[in-house]
Parts: sequence; structure tokens; C-alpha cells
Amino acid sequence: MNVIEVKGVTKDYPLGKTTVHALRGVDLTVEEGAFMSIIGPSGSGKTTLLNIIGCIDTPTSGSVKVHGDEITELEDKKITDLRLHKIGFIFQTFNLIPVLNVRENVEFPLLLMKKHSKGEITARAEKLITEVGLMEYIEHKPAELSGGQRQRVAIARALVSNPDIVLADEPTANLDSETSESILELMRELNEKEKTTFIFSTHDPEVLKYAKNIVKIRDGHILGQG
Amino acid sequence: MGKSLTFKIAWRNLWRHKGKSLVIGIILLFGSVLMTVGNGMISGAEHGLSENIVNMFTGDIVIVSAEQEKDNVLFDYSGKPLKVIKNYEAAKKVLETENAIQNFLPATAGAVYVLSGADMYPIYLLGVDIETYQKIFPGSIRVTEGRMLRPQEKGILITGEARKQAYDFMNIWLLPEGEELNKKKLPEDVLDGLKDLDTRRDLVFIGASTSNSTLDIRVPVTGIVDFKALNKIWGNYCLVDIESFREAHNYVTGADVNVKISAAEKELLENDELDQFFSSGSVVEKTAISQESISIQDIQAQTKKQTNQYSVDAGSYNIAFVKLKQGASQQKTLRNLNETFKKNQLNVRAIGWKDSVGSIGSMAATIKVALNIFIIFIFFVAIIVIMNTLSMAALERITEIGMMRAIGAQKGFLRKMFVYETGLLSFFFGGLGIIVGIVIIYMLKSANITTTNEFLQLVYGGDKLNPIYTAGDFLLGVVELGIVTILSVLYPLRVVAKIAPLDAISRD
Ligand SMILES: Nc1ncnc2c1ncn2[C@@H]1O[C@H](COP(=O)(O)OP(=O)(O)OP(=O)(O)O)[C@@H](O)[C@H]1O
Ligand SMILES: [Mg+2]
Repeated sequence: MNVIEVKGVTKDYPLGKTTVHALRGVDLTVEEGAFMSIIGPSGSGKTTLLNIIGCIDTPTSGSVKVHGDEITELEDKKITDLRLHKIGFIFQTFNLIPVLNVRENVEFPLLLMKKHSKGEITARAEKLITEVGLMEYIEHKPAELSGGQRQRVAIARALVSNPDIVLADEPTANLDSETSESILELMRELNEKEKTTFIFSTHDPEVLKYAKNIVKIRDGHILGQG
Repeated sequence: MGKSLTFKIAWRNLWRHKGKSLVIGIILLFGSVLMTVGNGMISGAEHGLSENIVNMFTGDIVIVSAEQEKDNVLFDYSGKPLKVIKNYEAAKKVLETENAIQNFLPATAGAVYVLSGADMYPIYLLGVDIETYQKIFPGSIRVTEGRMLRPQEKGILITGEARKQAYDFMNIWLLPEGEELNKKKLPEDVLDGLKDLDTRRDLVFIGASTSNSTLDIRVPVTGIVDFKALNKIWGNYCLVDIESFREAHNYVTGADVNVKISAAEKELLENDELDQFFSSGSVVEKTAISQESISIQDIQAQTKKQTNQYSVDAGSYNIAFVKLKQGASQQKTLRNLNETFKKNQLNVRAIGWKDSVGSIGSMAATIKVALNIFIIFIFFVAIIVIMNTLSMAALERITEIGMMRAIGAQKGFLRKMFVYETGLLSFFFGGLGIIVGIVIIYMLKSANITTTNEFLQLVYGGDKLNPIYTAGDFLLGVVELGIVTILSVLYPLRVVAKIAPLDAISRD
């Protein structure tokens, strides 16, 4: 079953008098449970593609289906809901709400959903915080954590709502290689344990050894999917 | 802390962005202090003005002839004289028997023309029996030069304001009888024109009636007076002995009645529009409008009258000022009086003091509007500054807010967060401002600040600054604070709503 179906997606950015063609007709399908890495040089369109899949940007043309639903024509409220329920995000930086501690940050999406009991929320958050190994930091604020620890919190938060898909745009770009590896290992582990689909971008070939599926992108074209 | 997630985040954001919170908070604090004190001043001015008008001039209720159509009887500058109260004796009985009434002052009020050569200009006179006047409005006037009018004496007490007018209109400086010009007491502009300065110790005036049935009367100036406060308003009214007023308007004087005139004659004399009854001429000999027309003999004759014993009440009145007992209801008494008057067909009616001074009420309203404009101006500044600060705060947190949007927070959630943040600041700092404002009001009150400045007296509502804070003011303050909060958050909310999930990713 395909979680994501991208067909003929283009994205143009007007830049002064010219136009930047960030994506020039991208087709991509992502199966449930995938652990997919999008790799390409800087400026190749990785971020643009991930943003479109994650419904935080819209394509200039083409179609994007999440779980069979066309999302390019949805209104803001519905798209926001979709992001909340079906997608988890891990950004490079600025992932966490500064005034909330680890527990509260992880609980945040569940609280927004307003459909779980307090007990369920606590249990689910603590389970994921345990899985990312941060139980002893549970009351800490983001400012009191290291970069790697923050990314772990972001991973826990991205997974807490059981999304169909977790998107991570260069999640390890700001981390040293040792921390990067542990983060990728954790993602892979959770991909297997929670059966969550992961798509992450990178320009670091070292990272590829963790990927189950690799998509190569260059100048807005997908060179190959495998 | 709180159950609501939004509230929790808002509360913590305030602490996280202490600087901004403090800036907005201090503006709200100052704004609400000024607003509270301003509202207190307005209430105080209103209250003070009421007290002063009631205690110095009108009493609680004013009685006029039922033929008097408009309520605004004291400051109607149309120049039409008040209608004479025709059966004062009967009305007096009603006033005497009404329980709520403490005392009352029958009087004559209206304009006269002061004659000077071929010129004339109007002044307003209150004709009273000075003894009764002082009993009912104790301390309301104070003599600055000369002396107080004596009981039954003919004379006029000129207000400082009227003295200025005499100078402006006729270049005449009025002095009390028997007083010499004291250069030290002259205002600078008068001193400058000292060479050509004409002094005078009496006034010749004529009733400002549309009919010819008026007489020109010469009245000595006994004193220069000031009202205790609000001379800008009351200064237009000079006090004169009631018999002179009556003579000038050709009303029935107490002395006339002593001479015994027939009821029919009295009826005629009391009618202002005598000319309607007589196609040409009148019962009363027309007097030429000139100074010379009053001879020494006339004055002597008048002074002679003065020594006669007669009842002032037997003459005509056109108004009566009624003071109520402490705690008596003005509304209820008004109703009672008017019912009784009607029932007995007395052809008089009672008016609440506020209605009787129509235009002065509007003067108070003008001051109120001015103070309100000041408050609105403060509001405006506060709103602009808060709006700016909040919008800046929203843009500074653009990545954070974009991220929250990206992970599923609706626009409404973030709007709510901002409203809570502003609302909390408003609640704490605005609330504190109201408390500080109340403290300042009580400090101002107990500081016993008085002024002789006429403009400030209008702002104070009297000679003393006496701001008051009522439950209504508190409610008004809360509403005003609410409006400021809502207006200053509206634009920032639009800024917040425009922040897109994509803003979570800083591309620079
Ligand atoms: N908002 C924008 N306005 C104009 N051009 C843009 C904008 N966003 C992206 N681009 C252009 O689109 C192209 C693709 O950008 P994108 O960020 O997707 O690349 P990327 O593969 O993520 O690069 P990197 O590895 O450096 O993150 C680039 O040429 C970029 O300059
Ligand atoms: Mg990128």
C-alpha cells in the first residue's frame, strides 16, 4: 500500500525576472513502512519535495496524494488537521516549543488532537520518551538539552501521534557524526518497532547505509528510486 | 498552572519574553493609571459642579411660572425675561408645607440693560433679599472690595466678571460707593489705560423686557464680589436688591403693595406684554433712556421708600430656589410639588436644578468631553505602541510559530495564545494601574488642592480638586481596558495568522 503518491509535481519560485525551477516534474511513491532517504546535492530540491509531501508547501502543478487523498486543493484548516494526524515532522533546528519541557513538547500534538484521555497522553508520551532514552530529562526545557537530545525529543514528538509518515529534512545536519549515527539508528529502530514510514533527506552519502530505500534527486529531477 | 495548554504556553511566554512583556505592561499600567485618575476627575468634576451649583446658586429645585415654557430658565441667553409667578403667596404655602424642603429663596432673575450715554449692554441680575440669600446659600459670595449689601438696602453687588465686562464695553471701572480708586488693586491692562479711565460708583439699568413697561433705575454699587468658585459661570449674575430689580422691570414692588394697589392694577402690572392691552402708550409713564432722566429727587424718593416698612414678599417674583433637606429625594419632591401645584391650579411649576441651568450642563459636558478626548488620546497611543510591540513579538517568534503550525496547531490556537498573552498583561498591569489610580485619587482627594484659577475650577468642578471613584468608574475602567486590549491585539493577530508552516524553516 502506498502512503504517498506524487505525480508530475513541479515547483517554480519567481526570482526577480527569472524563475527558479526547484522541481521539474517529480514522480514518487512511498510504501507503508518505508525508510527512505532522499539524497542530492545542495539546491537539488530535497527540501522543496519534503515540504510538499509534508503539506507545508504547495506544488505549482501536479498531484500529491496522502493515503489516497488529494491534498493540493484542501483548505488551510483541513491541511493543518492532516499534518497533525497523519504527518510527523523533524526539522533541522527549531523543533521544540521553548517554554515547554520535554514531556510537554512530546505531549503537544496529542493535546492539540483533543481526543485522548490525560492518562493515555501521559502513557504514550512516556513510552516514546523512554524509547528515545530521555526519561531522566523529562522535566527539562529545550534550552537545557544538547543538540542531539533535542533531535531525540523531536523524534519522540513526531512519532507520538502514530502518524502515517515522518518527514525529516536533514535531521542530522547540525550534529556531529557520532550523534548523527545514534539518531539515525534510533529512527531506524522506531521504523521497525512502530512500523512508521520515514522519509529523510541528506546530502551525506555516509547516511545512506541506514536507508532501506534511496531516492536520488538532482536539479529538480528524480534520477532513480530504489 | 492552569489546565489549558494555550494558557500555559501564553503564561510562560510572558516570562520568557520579559522585556516585551514589561514594555507592554508598563504602557498598560500608565494608561490605566491615567484613565482611572481621569475618570475619577471627570466624576469628581461632575459631582463637584453639581454640589457647587446646588449649594451656591440654584438649590435642588427651581420654581417658575407655569407659563415659562423652557426648563432652561437661568442661562437662556435669548434675553426674554422670565414670566412673573402670579400667585406666589399660594405657591409659598405649598413650599412651606412640603416636608422634604429645608428652605427656599424667592427671587427675580433676568437680564437688564446697563445704560451708558447712548450705549447699553446687558448684564444678568439676581434680585434677592440679601438676608434670605445668605441663609440659603451661605458662603457662596465673598466681598473683595466695598461691603456686603445690607438688608432692605438698595444696591448692587458687582461680580469681578461683570466689572470686567463694564470695563470692556464702556471703558468704565466700577468702584464700590465711597471707595477711592486703588491703583494697586487694578489689573494690568486697566492700569495701562489709566489716563482715560472713567470710574463710576453706581449703575443705571433698564429692564430687558420686550415691552416698554420698563424703567431706568440708578443703583449704587455696594461691593465687588466673587462667587466662592466657578466665577466663569456665575460671574455673569450680579446680585441686586430685589426691589430695584422689580422697579427696573416695572414689577409690583413690596413698596407698591404697601401703597395698596388694586388687584386689577396688580394684574396689569405683572403682565410683561402690556402693549398688547394698550394700543398706544401705557399706564406707566415712559421714561427716556438716558442718564439725566433720573433726578436727584428720584433717588431721594427711592431712598425714602427704602426706609418704609413693607413686606418684600408682597411684590413680584419670577423664580424661587428650593433647598431640600439632607437625603430628601429630588425626583420625588419634584413630582409631589408639581402634582400639588397642578391640583391647586397655581400656575407654577418645579424644575430640577440641572434642567434650569441647561447651557451650564453642556459646559460641564464640554469639559467632560475634553477630558474624555484626553483619555481616548492616551488609549490611542497605548494601542499603537502595544500593537507594534506585539506585532514585532509575533515576527520575532516566526520560526517557533511556523513550527507549531507545521506540526498541526491551527491558526485559532495561535491567535488564542496571543490573546491570552495580551489579556494576561492587561489583567495584571491594567489591574495594577487601576489600583494605583484609585490610590492616587484618594491621595489627591486628601491633599486638599484648591485653586483660584477659573479654568481649573471648571476642570475641578469647583475651587477644590475632589476626584471621586465610583463603582461605575471601575466598570468603565474595565471596559476601557478591555477595548484597549482588543484593539491593540487585532492587528498582531492578523500578523500571527499570516505566519505559515513554511516559516518554520528559516531560509536565509
Ligand atoms: N523560497 C524560495 N525562493 C526562491 N528560490 C527558492 C526558494 N526555496 C528554494 N528555492 C530554490 O529552489 C531550489 C531547490 O531548493 P531546495 O531548498 O529544495 O534545495 P535542497 O536540495 O534542499 O538544498 P540543500 O541541500 O542546500 O538544503 C534551489 O535552487 C533554491 O535556491
Ligand atoms: Mg534543504
